[in-house]
Amino acid sequence: MNYPVWEVPVIGGPWVIGIVSIFHVLIAWFAVGGGLYLPLAERKLYKEGKEEWLPVLMRHSRFFLVLTSAFGAVSGVGIWFSIGLVQPEATSTLIHNFVFGWAMEWVFFVIELASAAVYYYTWNRVPRELHLKVGYVYAISSFLTLVIINGILAFMLTPGRPWLDVAGTGHEASRFWLAFFNPTYFPSLVLRSLACLSLAGVYALITYSRVDDPALEKTKISMIRWSAQWLLPMVLLLPVVLAWFLLMIPNESRVILQQGMTTIGIGAFTQVTRIAMLTVLTTFTIAGVVYFFAYQSPKDFSLGHAIAVLGLAVVATASTEYARETIRKPFVIEGHMYSNGIRKSDVDKINSQGYLTASMWTPDTMDPVKRGEYVFRGQCMSCHTVSGYRSMKRLLQQRDEKAIKKLLEMLHNPPKDSPYVKYMPPLVGTPEEIDNLAVYLTTLSKPPIPASGANGPMASR
Amino acid sequence: MAKRSDYWIDRFGIGDAIAYAKKKSVPLHKHSFWYYWGGISLFCFLVQVVTGILLMVYYRPGPEAFESVRQITYSIHFGWLIRSVHNWSANLFLLSVFVHMFSVFFMKAYRGPREFGWLSGILLLMVGLIFGFSGYLLPMDDLAFFATKVGLEIPSAVPIIGPPIANLMRGGLEVSEFTVQRFFALHAVILPLLFLPILGLHLWLVQKHGNASPPSEEAKPEAERKSIPFFPNFLAKDLAMWLITLNVIALFAAVFPWQLGEAADPLRPAPLGIHPEWYFMSQFQTLKFMGKMFPGYAGEAIGMTLFTLGMVLWILIPFYDTRDKTALRAKRTTYFGLLVVGILLLTTIWGYLGVR
Repeated sequence: MNYPVWEVPVIGGPWVIGIVSIFHVLIAWFAVGGGLYLPLAERKLYKEGKEEWLPVLMRHSRFFLVLTSAFGAVSGVGIWFSIGLVQPEATSTLIHNFVFGWAMEWVFFVIELASAAVYYYTWNRVPRELHLKVGYVYAISSFLTLVIINGILAFMLTPGRPWLDVAGTGHEASRFWLAFFNPTYFPSLVLRSLACLSLAGVYALITYSRVDDPALEKTKISMIRWSAQWLLPMVLLLPVVLAWFLLMIPNESRVILQQGMTTIGIGAFTQVTRIAMLTVLTTFTIAGVVYFFAYQSPKDFSLGHAIAVLGLAVVATASTEYARETIRKPFVIEGHMYSNGIRKSDVDKINSQGYLTASMWTPDTMDPVKRGEYVFRGQCMSCHTVSGYRSMKRLLQQRDEKAIKKLLEMLHNPPKDSPYVKYMPPLVGTPEEIDNLAVYLTTLSKPPIPASGANGPMASR
Repeated sequence: MAKRSDYWIDRFGIGDAIAYAKKKSVPLHKHSFWYYWGGISLFCFLVQVVTGILLMVYYRPGPEAFESVRQITYSIHFGWLIRSVHNWSANLFLLSVFVHMFSVFFMKAYRGPREFGWLSGILLLMVGLIFGFSGYLLPMDDLAFFATKVGLEIPSAVPIIGPPIANLMRGGLEVSEFTVQRFFALHAVILPLLFLPILGLHLWLVQKHGNASPPSEEAKPEAERKSIPFFPNFLAKDLAMWLITLNVIALFAAVFPWQLGEAADPLRPAPLGIHPEWYFMSQFQTLKFMGKMFPGYAGEAIGMTLFTLGMVLWILIPFYDTRDKTALRAKRTTYFGLLVVGILLLTTIWGYLGVR
């Protein structure tokens, strides 16, 4: 509508956001959990007089600094870049509502970056008490970045009635705090905090797995066991917090989650159930694997074992992020903006005045196929690709134009019990635009036979 | 008063088992990773037993086979999960058995006194392959029907005894509901009855002789060799690998749930590009190639003879490459193994490229 469409072949735009986000989350959560881990580990070592372990902890803090400051910061910018291109309308709405929130987050972020650098570069250069204090400053500031971003992310799933009542009136910012402390704010914060603590343990295991000096064997054993325990809060509390979270999400999201229990019959629509189950299973697998590999046999714990644990953490994080994003369907901001950037409140207006007339980035004159293609780019490409992920060529199953028109009519006026309603935004536009879309989709479903082929030697056979 | 744990330990002799397990050790070296694959195969088998029993609750062999699998996949709570886990664990089972077999081969763990461990392992692989073949038909969808039809043409090609054996398996001249019933009996009763005692023997032999070290480790002086106790150290790691395997199976079941095609219709032409499962692709492609090279029965006969010959040589390896023979035999055996791996991989890839 207001922005050009960024076309990403094969994987589609959402997966660009997905890949960058999963990578970022794996580091950002480590930045928060590891921020607490480092000063607590340092305190433990001072208290127990394990001086020989300090070089290893310093090595871990270097790994921490490089990973979180370099890769974490770069991937954070990557998220901004990708969401701005793939979901410009939603990004704009978030910025307009939460610019003050992001300003706060960046203040904490600057403190976080500065204290991480100070923490690493002042090992053995400042008094130990002061060094520990720097560690705690880092821990608090990094946790506060999570406190802020959690509000914005949870808002997208449950903006709450007070905010929805003023959405689109220009007074949205007046409900800032109500939108920020939305219904899923606290369960999300607890879930994310538990994940941060778990990742702190997982990454620490990577550093400690590489310690093979026999002189450090006893400390290696005790530190590996101590780090393994950082996964305990997640394992013990996950069922309770998950139940709390599920209780707070909209009923429509719960319905989406339940769809895949009995069937795989409606394809991608049931995938979220399977992926959500994978999240829970993988979390418990990580706990079991860490117990058997690390807690039970800390002496033999190797880099291979640590990488296996990290691999499982990647699966758990990726599946959690996928499930969280998908249960919001068909919205990108629940109850307000559909996943293709169309506001719910604009649907009637677009249906009567047209979709392309309100679009700033379409040529003035186009043939029906081209018009259909522009409708496709604007309304469908936020989830579908032509021939890659959620491929239209595959999904259309060689339907002819008549069958495609019937399908589009159903998407335009979906019956209430249709599974499409739970997942896909309604198709909007004038009847002519929908016809144009059908013409375009027919070219994908049944590509026209080239003239030479139709009259050529093959035609006579 | 005796502790509650002592009560059970005394009555079931668990203490003896633990003492035995503690005495056992597992070599620790750079190839130790391959020791886990036997355990992974065993775990996949156990998963299949559990999910297979659950599937039997709803599966109805015979004319209703397709409908019952359709219900399992599309209507019954978590039926799709049980079916997908059963299928993926079956594939992972065969993959891990292959990996286990080749790791045993290249570490020369078939050498005396472990010859019968090798032979029982090969038998388990063969029964495992028949498990896969017989299970493939049970949903009775289009693909299963035609794949079985094509598969049963292979034994039919064997002169004289081939056709009666194929007819016996089919329950007639064509693949039908009678074939499903026979394959179900084979899959759920006969094969488990064959598999379990061989598995018991195999596990007993592994316990008896322990894990073999590769020749590079055996060449080291005793003082330089490292090992870890089987209990609890290796067992804990084995359990961790089982958990990872379960997660891999769940990952595949979640992302690629096992689909069901249309109901089998013998009057319809076979679907385009029909091919057997990956573990039969090498044989399929070789027979196809031989059929092109030598048209008629000759091609298939030559192909079958080559397979049989290869299998016999593979089985007899422990009696050729023994510890007391020259290093030349050991080297030749390794080259033979590499050749077999190369042929299997190449013909499998070639087969899939041909299908495309």
